[in-house]
Amino acid sequence: MRVAIAEDSVLLREGVAQLLTGAGIEVTARCGTADELLVRVADDPPDAVIVDIRLPPTHTDEGLRAALTIREEHPEVGVLVLSQYVEVGLAMRLLADSAEGVGYLLKDRVSEVKEFITALRRVADGGSALDPTIVSTMLKRHRSSDPLDSLTPREREVLELMATGASNAGIADSMVITQRAAEKYVSTIFTKLGIPATGSESRRVLTVLLFLRS
Amino acid sequence: MAAVLPLLPERHRAAPRPALLWTVGIAAVASCVVTAGLASVNEELYQPALRVLLVWWVTLPYTFAGLVAWRRRPDSFFGPLMILASFVHQLSILQWTNQPLLNTIGQLCDLLIVALWLHVFLAYPSGRLAGRAERVVVIAAYVVALGLQVVVLMLGGFNDQHLLTVAARPTAAEVVQNVELLLLGALALAGVILLWRRWRSMPLWQRRLPTQIVIHCFNLSLIMLAVLLVAGTFQLSGFEIIRLATFAVVGLAPLAFLAGLLDARLAKAGVGELLVQLRTDPAPDLRALLAHALRDPTLSLIYWLPQYGSWADQDGNPATLPDPNGDRRVTIVQQNGEQVAALVYDISLRDEPELLDAVSAAAGIALENGRLEAELRAQLQELHGSRTRVVEAQQTERRRLERNLHDGAQQRLVALALELGLLAEQANSDPATQIRLKHARSEVAQSLDELRDIARGLHPAVVSGHGLAVALESLAAAAPLEVKLGTDGLPRLPEPLEVAAYYVVSESLTNAAKHAQASRVSVDMAVTDETLIVEIVDDGIGGADSERGTGLRGLADRVEALDGRLRIWSAAGAGTRVRAEIPCG
Repeated sequence: MRVAIAEDSVLLREGVAQLLTGAGIEVTARCGTADELLVRVADDPPDAVIVDIRLPPTHTDEGLRAALTIREEHPEVGVLVLSQYVEVGLAMRLLADSAEGVGYLLKDRVSEVKEFITALRRVADGGSALDPTIVSTMLKRHRSSDPLDSLTPREREVLELMATGASNAGIADSMVITQRAAEKYVSTIFTKLGIPATGSESRRVLTVLLFLRS
Repeated sequence: MAAVLPLLPERHRAAPRPALLWTVGIAAVASCVVTAGLASVNEELYQPALRVLLVWWVTLPYTFAGLVAWRRRPDSFFGPLMILASFVHQLSILQWTNQPLLNTIGQLCDLLIVALWLHVFLAYPSGRLAGRAERVVVIAAYVVALGLQVVVLMLGGFNDQHLLTVAARPTAAEVVQNVELLLLGALALAGVILLWRRWRSMPLWQRRLPTQIVIHCFNLSLIMLAVLLVAGTFQLSGFEIIRLATFAVVGLAPLAFLAGLLDARLAKAGVGELLVQLRTDPAPDLRALLAHALRDPTLSLIYWLPQYGSWADQDGNPATLPDPNGDRRVTIVQQNGEQVAALVYDISLRDEPELLDAVSAAAGIALENGRLEAELRAQLQELHGSRTRVVEAQQTERRRLERNLHDGAQQRLVALALELGLLAEQANSDPATQIRLKHARSEVAQSLDELRDIARGLHPAVVSGHGLAVALESLAAAAPLEVKLGTDGLPRLPEPLEVAAYYVVSESLTNAAKHAQASRVSVDMAVTDETLIVEIVDDGIGGADSERGTGLRGLADRVEALDGRLRIWSAAGAGTRVRAEIPCG
């Protein structure tokens, strides 16, 4: 797998590069700015990019804009956005059209090396990776006569994993159950929430998010 | 009693002494008598009685109007100029004598009077020639009336009783005289054009009836003079009748001018009205009243604020005195020896100093009150300004801190977490090391969480980075109650506004969940009439009070620092409605 990185902190950029190299991933570009990233991606499209949301010069949304541009101009390139905070509002913007090949994680997640690499690979393969805090934030909201109340704790756990972009195999792995059991949970959840079960694993991320937001 | 002090560059000239005025008046009457005497001994004069009456008719009104103007407007040259015109006219009568020197003087002044009248008309009302064109025309008239007249006399023109004849060339003398008359006629018509132009350039409010009569009278006089000069050139048959009509009109001009002075007197009567209004209205619109009394709608009123050492308008906004060379004039009003206010008015009011004095004196006490009010407003503005600065400084500082945390400690901790993560991957499977590594990593993760909360509390970076709509979406998602967002079509706004609006919503949501036991909240934001309107309505128990909780008071401070206002309706049991309106134009 080939990955380009855009991160203005040298320390962190080199750390992530080291992490990727250690996992056998080729780092095609190490960029300090969004513009540089766009040029390097156009020159030599990688399988995925890792981009910090706050990049020079204004450190506001340069990274996000670069991510949206890459998604539009190079749909085959997976985009993994990293940030010190994750915002539900931004997740919605990032996933506005589809959750395919897109990830949005807290920066801290790089320290969970294995999970981070799994998420990155998922994004590069056209799947999604959403930070668990986004789903848990949305689930914390109390709503009257909420269909979520009808979920068992295990089902809730599956729902959260599903919303982060985990595949059925990933869910099964995390919960130490069989893949068949995981599939059964997923279909039960969709039935209970009254939303149509969709095939693709990345599309169901968006479905769940939209359901939670409504 | 208010003292009135006009500002530079007007310098008050002392009024002429009465004895001087009387002397001039008596001299004018005496010269009229002399004129009659001269006419009676001159046997060649056609219709002597009528000629004498005409001379009186033109002389006495000019002298009288000149004396009145001189006494009432010592600053203006107009009075002395009129008096001069009447005496030069008298001198021209000396041509009726046979005494060579006197006759010479009379002949020299014969057409000089035309130039002087032109000067008088064009110098109305200040006595000064306002423009370059006016100066050129008047100087040309003097040169022609005196210079060519000397040439005519040197060539032996008119008669043989004067002293200037060098060589008698009657034909040449006649040609030069005709040129002189036609040139003067042309200059008189040029004067008409200049007067007309002046009239057209006056603002409407200055075109009052008395002014109109004076200017039209002057114009008619100049036209008649031009006709008379042409008639003289070509020796038209009705010359005597034209002369009669011309002098009749020229004599009317000073009477029209006197009527104008009377109008100024009438304006002073408006001062009484002003006093009555000031006494009956406890909070008058002083500027409007003064503008009415001074008949200058462009009048502005500014106050001296000693505490600030500067001038300010009625609302306490800083103001400056106009450029003394511009077309605005200033009169400073003093109270007990200290300057209180300044009237700034159109330059044309300069010609009515008595009116200005009377009006400013009448407004004395009211001006002092107005000044105190302006001072109060200036203080309020200053207070408001300092609050705005405090809020702004606080926000800038918080933003800076958040940025420092983000770029510094947070990045380093993430890098450290990454390092520990890599280490855990590579480390040997010594369980003790793994446990300690795990512990260290969880410590770092917790530090990151805490730091994140602190940074977030310092400054909502998401607002500056991605706008209110995104930030509110996150707020709504995190709120422990149902939030209905109505922020469709909200444009990006200046950062201070977005941050303030964000805090209004954030604080209101917290209150709704924590204190109001609400289960549903609606948040609506829209920009209408260049005002951002933020409204948060919950279905809780109500009873919120902006003066009790520091949260709501702080919000009000934030909103008011941006010239906005925050209102809260929170009747017990009827939910709470928070509405912020912040100008964003």
